[in-house]
Amino acid sequence: MSETPADVEAPRRRFIKNIAGVAAVIPIQALATAPSAEAAASAPPASPSAGSAPGSVSVVPDGYQFFSAEEAAFVESAVSTMCPADELTPDGVACGLATYIDRQLAGGFGTGERLYMQGPWHAGKPEQGYQLPFDPAGFFRAGLAAAQAACQAANGKKFEQLTPPQRDVFLTALAQGKVTDHSVPLAQWFNELVFPLFEQACFADPVYGGNRDKVFWRMVGYPGLPAFHTVDVQNFRGKPFPGAQQPKSIQDFS
Amino acid sequence: MARELPRRTVVMIGGGMTSALAARALVAKGVDVLVLERGADRAHTAADEIPSQRDELRWALRHQNAQNIARETYTLRYAPSETALPARRLEAFIPGEGVGGAANHWNGQSWRWSEYDPVLRTHLRNRYGTKAIPTDLSVQDWGVTYAELERYHDLWERLFGVGGKAGNLQGKIQPGGNPFEAPRQNEFPQPPLEILESGVIFDGAAKQLGWKPFPLPAANSSRAYTNPDGMQLAQCQYCGHCERFICEANAKASPQVLLYPWLRQHKNFEVRTLAHVTGIDYDKAARRATAVRYLDLSSGEEVIQPADVVVLGAFVMTNTKLLLSSGIGAAYHPAVRTGVVGRNFCHQTMSSVSVFFKDRWINPFFAAGASQHVVDEWNNDNFDHAGLGFHGGAHIFSGVTNGRPIATRPLPPGTPRWGSAWKRANADWYAHAFTIVANGSCYPHPDNFLSLDPTYRDALGQPLLRMTFDWRDNELKMSRYITQKMADLAHATGATIVGPAWARKGPYDVRAYQTTHITGGTVMGADPATSVVSPHLQHWDAENLFVVGASVYPQNSGYNPTGPLGALALRLGDDLVSYVARPRQL
Repeated sequence: MSETPADVEAPRRRFIKNIAGVAAVIPIQALATAPSAEAAASAPPASPSAGSAPGSVSVVPDGYQFFSAEEAAFVESAVSTMCPADELTPDGVACGLATYIDRQLAGGFGTGERLYMQGPWHAGKPEQGYQLPFDPAGFFRAGLAAAQAACQAANGKKFEQLTPPQRDVFLTALAQGKVTDHSVPLAQWFNELVFPLFEQACFADPVYGGNRDKVFWRMVGYPGLPAFHTVDVQNFRGKPFPGAQQPKSIQDFS
Repeated sequence: MARELPRRTVVMIGGGMTSALAARALVAKGVDVLVLERGADRAHTAADEIPSQRDELRWALRHQNAQNIARETYTLRYAPSETALPARRLEAFIPGEGVGGAANHWNGQSWRWSEYDPVLRTHLRNRYGTKAIPTDLSVQDWGVTYAELERYHDLWERLFGVGGKAGNLQGKIQPGGNPFEAPRQNEFPQPPLEILESGVIFDGAAKQLGWKPFPLPAANSSRAYTNPDGMQLAQCQYCGHCERFICEANAKASPQVLLYPWLRQHKNFEVRTLAHVTGIDYDKAARRATAVRYLDLSSGEEVIQPADVVVLGAFVMTNTKLLLSSGIGAAYHPAVRTGVVGRNFCHQTMSSVSVFFKDRWINPFFAAGASQHVVDEWNNDNFDHAGLGFHGGAHIFSGVTNGRPIATRPLPPGTPRWGSAWKRANADWYAHAFTIVANGSCYPHPDNFLSLDPTYRDALGQPLLRMTFDWRDNELKMSRYITQKMADLAHATGATIVGPAWARKGPYDVRAYQTTHITGGTVMGADPATSVVSPHLQHWDAENLFVVGASVYPQNSGYNPTGPLGALALRLGDDLVSYVARPRQL
């Protein structure tokens, strides 16, 4: 987290200037291929880059427990920007990453299970950790709305209407604290809530809805369960482990 | 109205490792022992069964084996002049909850500390002179020596089936072991764990530098093992699910596997779960604890449990909090540096560096919590500190404890945080990288202490414990020095890429896990002006109250704290047998 109380209250004008400066480097071709507002609004929630890369697959939507349609559009665009379809994996939506985030926010994590929620609330040093009265679900929702508004103000478009390179630029600006809102600390929102959920979505057991078909475990070569390696530790010390090619997850032992 | 129960002989607060070890001798002698534990029994639950045990998200990230911080956390400020804020998430350290406590979810790293650790102040004064110990370095002697504790170390290692290679057998330095080891009477009861590829690389680099690497003493059973109580451990599976997890194979020596099942075979032992202790009734005039109060979390009823003897054997935070909230002993005041309860609070000073090998298979998923190799040249006072301007040090080890992929994926510097290049870097390096870690000491400072928070409350309405803590000059200098040694070792590995080696910097960060090794608050010593409990762990202001746990360490060493805790708790068991037979100041 790089947010300080001063950053939180930084004027929107500075943010717009920053984003305008960043957006200026976007290739014209990328801008030209951005979908129109109507097209994006009427499009079904599917992977933005589906069909455009070797790793893409057709996806049956899971349905969401937490997200509104508008929130889903933002999140799907974000996860498929952060995890584009390529030779390693399908895009983020197809990998179940939006589903994972939705399920986490709908469940105990979202409602603040194992989060101390008593007041009073005061801003502290970043190193004193999260100090907002929001539960994670509320923080996610407020941050998403603020990020969307900032995107609209800077680009005249919603996040999901930007081209993938523009989205990447916007997310980078968010992470670097260059996108600010008058009330929601957006860098903290992105770095301490959105980004960890993204990483978990990729690498947690598929039982939670992400990492579909153990695609990320296969990508890195994590063998998963049952992890009985008493003999392996000797036989495959310093050697490639065949089990890493065919990972097993909780579902395989249920 | 609180319900008062019949009197019990010995009532212990906290169902973790230290209570169980202290209870062992009492139970064997037929003494009536009751342990009160706020959590549930986790044996034969999703926490220790396949496949649910192998769930990184649930146990490691969502902390489902740990104390529920939504109900009770701690607050943090950096100086006595500041207002503290609550740590709203559990990250910096992980207190346990449930039968077995934090020693259920430990890694199994099983050190004895340096021979001079229990006499640290005397040792530093003898070696460097009085002037070399700054006023603000409030290190002190324990009041008991390593020699007195040796046989308890030996017993604890046999009970826990610790595997390792002796480095100092009865004063003779042994090849392949730790040459800085405190002298042991006996070899470890089990051989070391298998060396990992990361250990092979680490050993090669250390030897190039003239250092003497050795296998870390491990309580992850290297063979099938039966301990002196007849309790059994299975062979370790190197599954990479130790710390933050309860072992599903009964291979990690833990209170839940070895101690409570044995204690429960005895009619004179009872562990009462869901009993959240809220206070100790104290008769100040008689200087005695008279009863323990708890909330029955299954009924909501407040219960008074009278006791002849009370043992406070919970985690550091709870031990300190209960003494403060029960008004037993004088609370520490930093401005005048008087009072004792809350004093000398320490954590551990960690730093690390990642190394990446294009052509070597690290396979981080083959690991036990303590299957690392170590060098001890730069730990504590194992090297000459003359002119360095700090005291203390760290053991440096090949830090492969697991390959759990949410949290354990070192990436080379400059890797983007997402996108195809990020995925490519994960695919390229996951099986080919590891982290070298410096696990450093933390010495006390007058402004690092525990007290009750005036504002924030727990779920029962009691004040939270407040940490006033930051990395002070001694630890910052130590970390800079040791981190450079660690970087030297990292470069000697011949790694394709060596990541940045950042020394520990302030301010203290509640968002970053250090270790679960917080210490102090109810420290031991021979002088009641600077200690809460005597060298026999007997409270100076309440003869029948004993405190055991990492809260009694006057300072934290560059080793993990579990080994000496085991020794201290077993010795307390013998002391309690003696005390119950003839109550007196020991």
